[in-house]
Amino acid sequence: MDSTIVKSVNYNAYFGDNHVVKNVNIDIPRNNVIAVMGPSGCGKTTFLRGINRMHELIPNATAKGQIMLNNEDVMEMHPIFVRLKIGMVFQRPNPFPNLSIYDNVIAGYKLNGIKLPKAEKDRIVEHSLTRVALWKEVKDSLTKKGSFLSGGQQQRLCIARAVAMEPEVLLFDEPTSALDPISTSTVEELFHELKKNYTLIIVTHNMQQAARVSDKTAFFYMGELVEYGETKQMFTNPSDLRTQNYITGRFS
Amino acid sequence: MTQLENEIQAVKTEVISMWTLVESQLQKTRSAMLHFDRDLAREVVLKEKRVNAFELKLDRDCENIFALYCPVAIDLRFLLAVLKINNNLERIGDIAEGIAKYIIEPLEDFDHSVFEKTQLIKMFDDSISILADTRIAFEKEDTILARSIFKRDEVLDAINRSAIEKVGECIKDDMNVMSDALYVLSIIRKLERVGDQAKNIAEEIIFFVEAKVLKHQKESSGKN
Amino acid sequence: MSVHVKYRIGKSIGFQALVVLLSVACVIPLIFILVYIIQSGITKINWHFLTNLPKPVGESGGGIANALVGSIIIIAMASVMAIPFGILCGIYLSENKTSKLAYWSRLCVDILQGIPSIVIGIVAYFWFVKPFGGFSAISGSIALAIMMLPIVVRSTEETLLLLPDSLKEAAFALGMPFHRVILKVVLPCGISGIISGVMLSVARITGETAPLLFTAFGNPYLSTNITKPMQTLPLLIFNYATSPYNDWHDLAWGASCILLIWVLLLNIFTKLITRKWTVQL
Repeated sequence: MDSTIVKSVNYNAYFGDNHVVKNVNIDIPRNNVIAVMGPSGCGKTTFLRGINRMHELIPNATAKGQIMLNNEDVMEMHPIFVRLKIGMVFQRPNPFPNLSIYDNVIAGYKLNGIKLPKAEKDRIVEHSLTRVALWKEVKDSLTKKGSFLSGGQQQRLCIARAVAMEPEVLLFDEPTSALDPISTSTVEELFHELKKNYTLIIVTHNMQQAARVSDKTAFFYMGELVEYGETKQMFTNPSDLRTQNYITGRFS
Repeated sequence: MTQLENEIQAVKTEVISMWTLVESQLQKTRSAMLHFDRDLAREVVLKEKRVNAFELKLDRDCENIFALYCPVAIDLRFLLAVLKINNNLERIGDIAEGIAKYIIEPLEDFDHSVFEKTQLIKMFDDSISILADTRIAFEKEDTILARSIFKRDEVLDAINRSAIEKVGECIKDDMNVMSDALYVLSIIRKLERVGDQAKNIAEEIIFFVEAKVLKHQKESSGKN
Repeated sequence: MSVHVKYRIGKSIGFQALVVLLSVACVIPLIFILVYIIQSGITKINWHFLTNLPKPVGESGGGIANALVGSIIIIAMASVMAIPFGILCGIYLSENKTSKLAYWSRLCVDILQGIPSIVIGIVAYFWFVKPFGGFSAISGSIALAIMMLPIVVRSTEETLLLLPDSLKEAAFALGMPFHRVILKVVLPCGISGIISGVMLSVARITGETAPLLFTAFGNPYLSTNITKPMQTLPLLIFNYATSPYNDWHDLAWGASCILLIWVLLLNIFTKLITRKWTVQL
C-alpha cells in the first residue's frame, strides 16, 4: 500500500475573488496525525474543508487543483462519495439533537437511508463508541438524547459518528476549542488511539496542541503553506523564519 | 497514560540504561586496574563513545519534550533534573575513561601494596556502590536513600584528603613505586570526583521529587 | 446618605413603579374583554347550542352547528393549501440567504403580510367568485390561505435560521444529499418552531371575517359542499350581532365565546407543543 493517502497538488481555493488557499502541495502519510496550524484567516480551515469538498457548500466558494485520495482526484468524484471516505469533526460538538446517542452514532447510515440488521447496528454502535472511549460512560443511556452529554462527551460522540462510517481519513476542525481542559486532553489522547486505524488531519489554533498530538505539522500563513515537516523538527528547529516567529509568539 | 507520561517514562528508562552503562564502565575499569587488563581498559575507552551518544540522545529527547509538551510541575522538574543528571553521568563516564587511560599507559603492572595502603580498592568499590544506590534512589524516587548519599560521599572525601600523605609515605618507603603511587593519586583524585557527581545527582533527585533546592547550602556535617 | 443619592434612588424606584404600572395596564383590556365575553356567552353554550342549526327569527334557542362545521372545513382547506407551500418557501429562504430570488420572495412575503385582509377578500372575490359564478367555501379558503402563507413562511424561515449551521454541516459531512439533510435533520430539529408558527397562523385566520364576507359569504344551513356558500363563526357573529333580534344576539355571544375558547386552546396547545417538542440544541 502506498504510504501517502492524501496528496494535494497545486490546490487553490477562493471565496469569490478572494484567494484564500494558494498553491498548496502537501503529502499526507497514512496513519499519521497531521496538525495544520497558523494564524486566523490563513486558509487552514478552508484547506481542510477542501479535502472533503465541504468548501464548495459555501456560496461563491470555488477551488482549483487536485486533492488526491489514494491517487484518485476527489475533485472528480461525487462529493457525497468523498464525504463517506473522509469524515469530519467540527469545532463545536454537533450531535443531532433530535436523535438518541445510539441513533447519533449510526446517523450516517440511518439518515442516508441505509438499512442494516439490528445486530449489525449494535455492533457498529458498540465498536465506534469503544473506539472513542465513550462506550463505558454511555452504554446504559444509549436511548437518551445526545445533547444530554457533556461537551467533551458530545465531541467524542461526534467522532464516533464519523468513525462509524469507517472512513479512511478523519478531518478535525479545531476539535477542542469549545472544550474544557480535561475534555481536551481526553480528546487528544483519543487521537493517538485513532491514528492506528485512520489518518487524522487536525486544524488547530493551539500550537501546543499541534505539538502534543501530531506527527507532522503544516504551518499556513496568508494562504500559503510555509512549512511542512516532522513536528519535532518544527518545534525545535523550524526552517522558516515565519514559522519560528509564529511558534515563539513573536508574530506581528 | 498520557502521551507526556509515556515520553517521560521512556526518558527515565533511557537514563537508567545510561546509568547502568556508566556503572559497568567503572566496574570494568576497576577490574582492568586490579588485573592490569589493558584490553579491558581499551574497551572502556571505546565504550565511552556510547556514553556520549546516550548524553546527546537524552539532551535531544528532553529538548523535544520541552518543545512539544510544555511540561509543568513534577514533569518539568524531572526533565530539568534529567538534563543535569545526564551531564553528571557523562562526566562519570569521562572519569572512567580517564582512569582506563592510566591503565593503558604504564608498561608494568601496578604495585598492589600501594593500592592497599591508599585504600584505593575500597574507594573504587564505594564509588561504584554509591553510584548504584543513587540510581536506585532515582528509579524509586527515594529521597531518603538519596540523602544517605551525602554521608557516604564524605567517606570518599576523607580517603581523598588522606591520599597525599599516604602516597608520600609509600614513596618514602620505596622509591621504586613512585610512578605507581602518582598514578594511584591521580586515580584517587578522579574517584573523588565520582563521589561529588553522585552527590550532585542526589541533590537533583531531591529537587525533582520534593522541589527542594539543596545546592550551595551549608550542611551541618561541615563539608560544603 | 446625601440628598443627591436619595434623589437618584427615588428616581429609580419611580421608574420601576411606572414600568410595573404600565405592564399591568396592558393586561386590563384583555381581562375586561375576556370577562365580558365569557359572561355574556358562556351561559348560551351547551350541547344543544353546538349541534343545532340557528332557528329562524322569532324562535328562541338554536345553535351554531353550521358555522362550526363551516369554519373547520374552510380552515382545514386553507391549511392544506398554505402549510406545505409556506414551509417549503421558508426552507428555501433560510437555505439561500443571499440569492436574488430569496431577496425578492422575502420582500413579497413581507408585503403580502402587510396587505389588509379586506383587500385580499376583494381580490379573491374578483378572481374566484365572479368568474365561477357565485360565493363558495373554496374561494374563502383560498383567501385565508393567502393570509396564512406569509406567517408560515416567516416563522419557518426564522426557526430554521436559528438552527446552527454546524448541524447541517454535520449532516453534509456524513455524505448526506441535500434533500435528506433537509428532511431528516433540519425539519425534525425545527419542528416545534414550525408547528407553533402554523398554529399561530391558524389562530390568526380563525377570526378573519373580512375576506370571507366576499367569498364564503355565509349560509344559514348546514352545508359541506365546498363550491357553495358556507357559514363560519366570524361571519355568523358579524351577521347576527348586527341584526336587531335578541335571540340572534345571544347566538352571536355564544359563538364569540366559542371562537375565543378555540383561539385560546390553540395558543395553549402551541405552548405545549413548543415545550414538549423543542429539540435541545
